[in-house]
This record gives sequence, structure tokens and C-alpha cells, in this order.
Amino acid sequence: MAVKTESKNGLMVCRVEGDIDISCSPDLKKVFDKLIAQKTPKIVIEFSKVTYVDSSGLATLVGILKNMRSYGGRMRLAGMSTKIKGLFEITKLDKLFEIMATEEEAIAGL
Amino acid sequence: MDKEVVIKAENIVKKFGDRTVLNGINLEIYRGETFVIMGGSGCGKSTFLRHLIGALKPDSGRVSLLGKDLSGLSEDALDAVKKKIGMSFQSSALFDSMTVGDNVALPLKEHAKLERSVIDIVVKMKLELVGLRGFEDLMPSQLSGGMRKRVGLARAIVMDPEIVFYDEPTAGLDPIVSGVIDKLILDLSKKLAITSVVVTHDMKSVFSIADRIAMLYEGSVLQVGTPDEIRKSDNQMVKQFVSGSPDGPIKFFQQKDDYLEQLMK
Repeated sequence: MAVKTESKNGLMVCRVEGDIDISCSPDLKKVFDKLIAQKTPKIVIEFSKVTYVDSSGLATLVGILKNMRSYGGRMRLAGMSTKIKGLFEITKLDKLFEIMATEEEAIAGL
Repeated sequence: MDKEVVIKAENIVKKFGDRTVLNGINLEIYRGETFVIMGGSGCGKSTFLRHLIGALKPDSGRVSLLGKDLSGLSEDALDAVKKKIGMSFQSSALFDSMTVGDNVALPLKEHAKLERSVIDIVVKMKLELVGLRGFEDLMPSQLSGGMRKRVGLARAIVMDPEIVFYDEPTAGLDPIVSGVIDKLILDLSKKLAITSVVVTHDMKSVFSIADRIAMLYEGSVLQVGTPDEIRKSDNQMVKQFVSGSPDGPIKFFQQKDDYLEQLMK
């Protein structure tokens, strides 16, 4: 798994690549812990190169959202494959996260 | 599309002392199906299950799980395969001194370096899937038998397994709770695209959950088929088992002529 971050239009876009599973979700958390420590107000996580997300990955994302909300930050997810979106639906997390079809849609209006 | 074989048993033979418990079992189980292994008490089905999960080694023959021949694997490689399977035990096998949440979290703590806050979220997600969210802080002794089974299921799926094995999931439960557990097994299989292998002799359960069924008798496979094929089977032993009749080719008592001799030994 790798995360590339880019500051764009006043918000942070984080493009994740590869599997988000139990072996690397602690690393994902570390990347976002830094952004959260800086109270980054708006984050878009881009999923088009994410191949798999396991439960630890989903839980890590929930934790990131929870921490961002604690200081009024906002987060959107974008570019998910149908398969990965299905994982969010099974666990009802599609109702917790703002999930947009594309990065552009996610940035617009955030 | 060809069906992907995720479990393959080839000519499995196992003896305990002089007794042959598994007598050359061949089976293939496909990805995504709910496969039921049924048979009477002592037919070898639980022993066979223990071979499938790598807990027992066959005297001859081999088991392949997710494309890996278990007999040729190192301890570490076997552990890596075992991470991809979940096991739901007949007794639920919960630790009575630990809360429900800690019981479910146990495999995560053993296998991964996740922070407690992340583990707590995973546990909540899994308990939601088995309808027990909010029960994290209770102790197993405060739960009914059916609820304990569901906690066992939550623990079996906590590592996102590709295959879940269920040993007698409805044993000791009343018909309504058994129905709830059956529905849950089906739900989890479909929602999470899990391959489920269920060992049971509960006929109602067999026909409500199985995509395919294997009937075991005296360590051998009598027949493999869909529920419909098993219901309409011409095999007299399968017929007797399905109808639950005491009369037929299956003997419920070991008939041994040397009983009196044995007593006098």
C-alpha cells in the first residue's frame, strides 16, 4: 500500500494504492494521524487504485473520520470500484461516509 | 465460468489405533458455496473437518486449501493459510473470563498490531453483522446458548476469512434459535462472499442452508449432491438418514458377536 498526498484547491487529496489490509492499515493510520494533528480541514481520499479493503482498513477509515469530526474537519471518499463500494454497503458505512464517484465531484463543494 | 475449487480432499485415510475413521475420502468444495457434510454421530465428519483445517494430518492422502497442499507446508506457511479461514466451534469455545468484545477481538490481537481504537471498531462491525451490537461489555455467562453461538460466529469472521468452517452450529439449540443461526450462516455467506463448510446432522438445517451436501457413513462418502438430489436419493442409507428411520441398513448399535467373550476377558 502507498499513499500520495497532494494539496489542491485548499484541501488535501490522498491517493491510496494497493490493498488496505491488516498488514498495512496501521501505516495508513499514521499518514492520517499527521494530517489530523495539523487539523487539516478537508480531506479527499481517492480509491481508484485501491484493490482491496479488509475490516481493519474500514475500521481505520472510520477512526480517521471520527478524529477529523472532533475538530470540525470534513472528509470525502472518491473513485471506488463497485466491489469496494459493496464492502461499505454491507457494513452500512456507505451511510457514514460521503462517497462520491470521482475526485472532481468530491472536491466540488467540499 | 469454471468453478474454482478452494478445498480439495484426496483419498484421505485416518486411523485411530485399529479403527479406520476416514476410509479414503475424496471431495471438492467450490468458492462461494455452502457445503454441508452430514452423517450420524461417529461417522467421521468432525475428524474430517479437523483434517480440512489442518488440525489433524491424514495417515495417507492430502488436503489442499486455497490451492496449497497442507502436507507440504512449513509451520509459517500453514499459519498464513489458516489466517484465511475461520472456525466456529460446536461449543462456541468462548473464554468465560473475557468480555464478548475481547473474545471477538482475540484473533486480531494475536495476528496484528492494530491500535485498540481500531480493534474496537472492527469488533462493533462484526457484532452488528451477527445482530449483537451493544453486547461488547457483557460476559459470555450472561448470554443464552444462541447468543454465544453468534459471538463465536463474529469471532470466526473477524479476520475476513475466505472460508468459514462450522462444527455442528445448531447443536443444543431450540428450533427457532437454530433457524436464526441457519439464516445468519446464509446471510454471512452471501453478503461476505464466504465459502461455508458446515458439519451437522440437523436435517432441517442441512436442507435450509446447503448448496451441496456430502453424506458420510463409516468414514466414506456415500453421496454428494444438491439438496434435491439427496432428497430423491436411491441410496438406501442416504434415504434412511434423511427420513430419520431407525430401521434400515444403517445400524445404530455396533453389533459384535464377541460381546460376551469381551465381558469375560
